[in-house]
Amino acid sequence: MNAIISLCHFCELHGPKVLFCTQPFHPEEKEVGDNEGETDISGHRRVISPSAALEPQTPQTPTCGANSLPSYKNDLCEGCTSVHLGFVSHDDDAGVSYMSSQRPQHRDVFAMIRQSCIRSLSCEVCPDQEGPIFFGDDQQGNTISYTFFIKDNQARGFQRLYSIIVVMMDKIYLLNSWPFLVPNIEVVVKHLKSKAKAVFEKEQVKFPQRPSASVNPRTFIQQRGGNKPVRSLSELTDDKNVFKILHMSFVWILKACGNRLSEALLEGAPTEDSIIDMERQEVTEEDFVMLYSKKLTVEEEVEEAVDAVRYATLNQPTQTEPVDDGSPAFKDIRHILSLLGPSLFHVLAHHVVVGNQIIIRADGRTLMRTFLEALTCLLPRGCFKAVAYSDVYVESYKCNFLGLDPRISIPPHVNKDEKYLLVDVHRKPDFAFDGSTDPFAGYDFKFSSSVTFQPNSVPTVLTKMEFAIRNTNLCEEVLDQALVCYKEEWMNKVKVLFKFTKAGGGRSDEDMRSLMKIVGAVDVDRPLLTYWMKGLSDQYKKHILTTSKQAQVS
Amino acid sequence: MAYNSDNDIAGQYSVSFPQGFDYGPEEGEGDPAGGAQDQKPKILVMGLRRSGKTSIQKVVFHKVSPNETLFLESTNKIVKEDVTNCQFFVYHVWDLPAHLDYFDSTFDPELIFGGCGALIFVIDSQDDYMDALSKLHFVVTRVYKMNPKIKFEVFIHKVDGLSDDHKIDAQRDINQRATEDLADAGLDNVHLSFYLTSIYDHSIFEAFSKVVQKLIPQLPTLENLLDIFISNSGIEKAFLFDVVSKIYIATDSSPVDMQSYELCCDMIDVVLDVSSIYGGFDSEPPVYEPRHNRISPLSFDSDSDSDDGEIIPERVNPADSNQRLAVIKLNNGTVMYLREVTKQNCWRLSVY
Repeated sequence: MNAIISLCHFCELHGPKVLFCTQPFHPEEKEVGDNEGETDISGHRRVISPSAALEPQTPQTPTCGANSLPSYKNDLCEGCTSVHLGFVSHDDDAGVSYMSSQRPQHRDVFAMIRQSCIRSLSCEVCPDQEGPIFFGDDQQGNTISYTFFIKDNQARGFQRLYSIIVVMMDKIYLLNSWPFLVPNIEVVVKHLKSKAKAVFEKEQVKFPQRPSASVNPRTFIQQRGGNKPVRSLSELTDDKNVFKILHMSFVWILKACGNRLSEALLEGAPTEDSIIDMERQEVTEEDFVMLYSKKLTVEEEVEEAVDAVRYATLNQPTQTEPVDDGSPAFKDIRHILSLLGPSLFHVLAHHVVVGNQIIIRADGRTLMRTFLEALTCLLPRGCFKAVAYSDVYVESYKCNFLGLDPRISIPPHVNKDEKYLLVDVHRKPDFAFDGSTDPFAGYDFKFSSSVTFQPNSVPTVLTKMEFAIRNTNLCEEVLDQALVCYKEEWMNKVKVLFKFTKAGGGRSDEDMRSLMKIVGAVDVDRPLLTYWMKGLSDQYKKHILTTSKQAQVS
Repeated sequence: MAYNSDNDIAGQYSVSFPQGFDYGPEEGEGDPAGGAQDQKPKILVMGLRRSGKTSIQKVVFHKVSPNETLFLESTNKIVKEDVTNCQFFVYHVWDLPAHLDYFDSTFDPELIFGGCGALIFVIDSQDDYMDALSKLHFVVTRVYKMNPKIKFEVFIHKVDGLSDDHKIDAQRDINQRATEDLADAGLDNVHLSFYLTSIYDHSIFEAFSKVVQKLIPQLPTLENLLDIFISNSGIEKAFLFDVVSKIYIATDSSPVDMQSYELCCDMIDVVLDVSSIYGGFDSEPPVYEPRHNRISPLSFDSDSDSDDGEIIPERVNPADSNQRLAVIKLNNGTVMYLREVTKQNCWRLSVY
């Protein structure tokens, strides 16, 4: 987590001061820790004792102090110094080093921390004086600050104000980490407070500061005059290792908090495809589904089927870890087009977009897998269910893309009832290798289908897609984006249609036709639209169904 | 006789003043400009650490016993105090801890010092005050540049620990050094006022009264009215008090005798204490906080041998429950007469 945790203190003499500060360094920016860290990088995670680490109070201080920061050189008392040098911990697995020192080395970082420190201790008001609070802006960074009092028998008011602040530029991340950070900081705070309280109670018996019977200002002032105005935190807690413990706690918090959330970059509103991806991720990664219980059953069945297939084929993982068996691979959709030629490709693409099962039978597994993968770009993510290799026939409701062993024949009942397109890939036996670079030289594609292809029933979107694919002026990235746009455009129509059919109750054919006109679709698009409804995200379906139910109720 | 004239003037206060002048939040609300919040004058209290800034405010505005202030913890943030218990004059008091550098980029000095009416700088006279003087010089030069209208008041504080000679010496010395420093810096026209103060006697209340009075635009009018009042009623001295803080907002133009001021403060304390015990027979439940007091119609005779004399809190007119008064006769023949002027806590105290 790219945040800085630091302990701040309101010093009786100097006001708000940064006491102790832990920050992560990634290897490329580890300029300060390197000279020492390089030599003993061999070990695992460890804490380098102060002698081995760095010099936080280097002579550079006065130069920083010259412009905006007050000079620190003579200005430090016991109460606002923590560690003379510092601590470094290396996380070799993640390649991050955590460094703790009195203050950050970098001047801008220090200015930011200092600002947050002043705000946390002297500006922002927490409802109970002690507790967590968030503040910040884009320039000065965002801060979660936890202020608390430490008992001190010799302090004015018998307590001192401290705070732990977490400073981060990323506001969203920081606020999302609140539920993790606050309880864990609280643990650290409680530890410090309980230690200080024990010391306080011991001292109070020994040197009572508050004579209950006779309060005489004169004696009081004289008596207090002998006291130290400020005492260090290690004295207050009677623990020489208090800063080591703090270092460990802060490092743990930084590391654990970083592991807690990972970020994904989203540009613009999420497309239907990315929502589907997220839903699938939740299903597969967490092993359970929170909201999308319906999804679970479908997915599980597919998984089961896949598992069965997997075990049947000598435990060779087919989906998760595709193996390259040396057969030629399809690069992308254009590669398929160039191999099949426009007319065959048109037939294939048509079958794909209207949702007929595509079965490919070939010798090479890589060939089948890449073939199916290349076709995905024609369909919304939600509609795409593939089994890349199987040696039994898998029904179309489980997968619409199937790679089959060439020796398997399609079961007769499927032959009759199901709409499918069977692509057989053969290597011509009489092909003589002529040294051409094309790996598909000598391969032959044969299509057979249960439905006869009608050339005049081509969906509008397919025409557009094919046009884009054929347009050689478009580079691959542009083509990808174009396809995404077409899909998204039509998914929006699908959404309208879905809402229209599912939400409104009975609709006449007339209504349907006028709606189709409005969304800009014609009759030949119908099979495509109905099929793509399956690809809608569960989130969306659920939302529509609940709102329509509510509408009906009210 | 005095009652009548008093009544008349009191009536004038409560009736005629609220129109046309900006007296308080109630009237301010009607302003189209709506800037009542900003128009409230601001008094800043500054000084070195442990000079007694917070103690002063605790004693003056919160009735904290001076001894208790020893146990205050150091102030870590700017504490803003709204003094609204007096209808005539509403203001803020800001307690600025010494630890913070207000000219740093973290703070907005314009915001802090910009609309500020007076700056009180507290110097601990029991300590070596050279540091305080240099800080004073620093603050005055910076703030004067930002806000030339600001009034600088220097409290030479904690003088209870000094002998009388020492006090005079300290005041003279501080006065001389501070003005010389300013003259050296070319700020001859900046005027510093000096007060010897202590929270253990009434000097802090008096000094604060003087500070507050300087910020009241209607002060000459109030003084005039009080002059008219005493000349017509034969009263020796009249104060207009904010009873909660014991700050007097105005007095007549005759010089203030410190003793009579102290006497008045003591009387206010007595009346408020008595009324917080015996008050509360009104519709409101008894609340033991001075600002909510109601003095109910009662009178009692204190021990006739004592020096205190007699206290007679009573209502003038039972129909008007807001008009409350108290009379204390002292053994030396002095009569003190405390009379509520406004609905809230401005009381006039007159000494016969």
